[in-house]
Amino acid sequence: MSRPVAQTRRQDLLCGLSLVMVFLCAPFPRLQAVFHVMLVLALAPRVGAPLRTALWAAAGGWALEGALRLYPHLGGTPWADMTMALLVAWMAGRWPIENLKGWLARLAALALLHTVVVHGAVRLAAGPHPWGSGWAWALLSLPLWGWALWRLLFAGPSPRRP
Amino acid sequence: MAVRASNWGWNPAGRRRYALILLWTGHGLWAFFGQRPGELWARAAGLVARPAQGAASRWEGWREKRREQARTFAEVQAENTRLQARVAELELGVAREAPRLVEADEADRLLGLRRQIPLQLGAARVIHSTRPEAFGGLILDAGRDRGLVPDQGVLVPEGVVGRLWSVGASQSKILPADAPNASLAVMLARSRATGVLQGLSSGRAAIRYISNQEVVQVGEAVLTSGLDRVFPRGLLVGYVSEVVKGDLELHVTVQLSAPLDRIRLVLLLPSQPPLEVQEPFVAPEQHPARKRGAP
Repeated sequence: MSRPVAQTRRQDLLCGLSLVMVFLCAPFPRLQAVFHVMLVLALAPRVGAPLRTALWAAAGGWALEGALRLYPHLGGTPWADMTMALLVAWMAGRWPIENLKGWLARLAALALLHTVVVHGAVRLAAGPHPWGSGWAWALLSLPLWGWALWRLLFAGPSPRRP
Repeated sequence: MAVRASNWGWNPAGRRRYALILLWTGHGLWAFFGQRPGELWARAAGLVARPAQGAASRWEGWREKRREQARTFAEVQAENTRLQARVAELELGVAREAPRLVEADEADRLLGLRRQIPLQLGAARVIHSTRPEAFGGLILDAGRDRGLVPDQGVLVPEGVVGRLWSVGASQSKILPADAPNASLAVMLARSRATGVLQGLSSGRAAIRYISNQEVVQVGEAVLTSGLDRVFPRGLLVGYVSEVVKGDLELHVTVQLSAPLDRIRLVLLLPSQPPLEVQEPFVAPEQHPARKRGAP
């Protein structure tokens, strides 16, 4: 099995696990927000596979909204997730990640942007709603899960190196 | 440039691109237009789902009806079980009360007979029967404690039973009329011929000392004659079942009318009753009244 195929499968497996955790963590919204951000910003984006990126991101968004069932009209979160995941995938292709610090910094910035985009999209779809504290927990725990995903996905020799 | 053009063609890469655009644009429109598309979609979905909802409603109604029927059936079964238990209980009660009813009926008939006979009659219950044995009799639950003495006549509504043979402190023994050692003064209802009734066992007896000149018919009633001073005259004893003419006397066989094997209550006549107490049960033949002065 070639390195890219193995990495893709590992990434799909992690996406599935995150999706399941988004479902299972419905009683704990803060933890759910962490898994959601992790799925959308770190696991779903694939360079050169935008459809797969969008599908995993949409699945994460629908899973979150379907589990919450708080909004009168669903759909804002998956749209924002797709947008952010496509943006992250484009950024990863345009400016490849070189080290852990850059990876964490980019994730932190994208997490803030993701919070704003999701809030705006949900406001557009379902109307005004509280911000909540999920974004803060996602940011606080970012070093942990960011480091873990870095080790799982990008550790070792870079696939771009010969 | 050729590569870029192929990305937008109808090839796998182009189809993926179209799918991505459709996915992202669809979600965007869905989110942008807010709740209105949701309402329309919900209405359309409701319209599409209406047949299925109707079928589901009918299915649920059928299941509810079936549940109700099952519940009704279970209730009916429980009611049936209760009623069966009640019927069994009542049948047991009826079976338990049957002997008392029979005895009450017998007592009622005995009371009627007691009203017909103008004598001081006593009553007693038969508590045991030794009739199948030789010289057997019936045991009564009364004795000297109730003032009984030997040779008191015993009868039931159907006819004469016999006489008291022995009297104990609290029990007595009846010598039935069909016992071989029993004798009773009787007369025939039609011919008025008198004789002595002697037992032959099994509810049968024979009348002795009736002249073969008498005319006795089968089926003729046999009454007490009162000559033995045990029974007054005119009590029914039985009916003639067979008549055979002998050298000197008629051999008359009588079927006793009292069911000696099924007696529960008896009436006891007073000791040495008067000869005449009432008209015979079977009315004598009506003779034309003789005119005064006629020979």
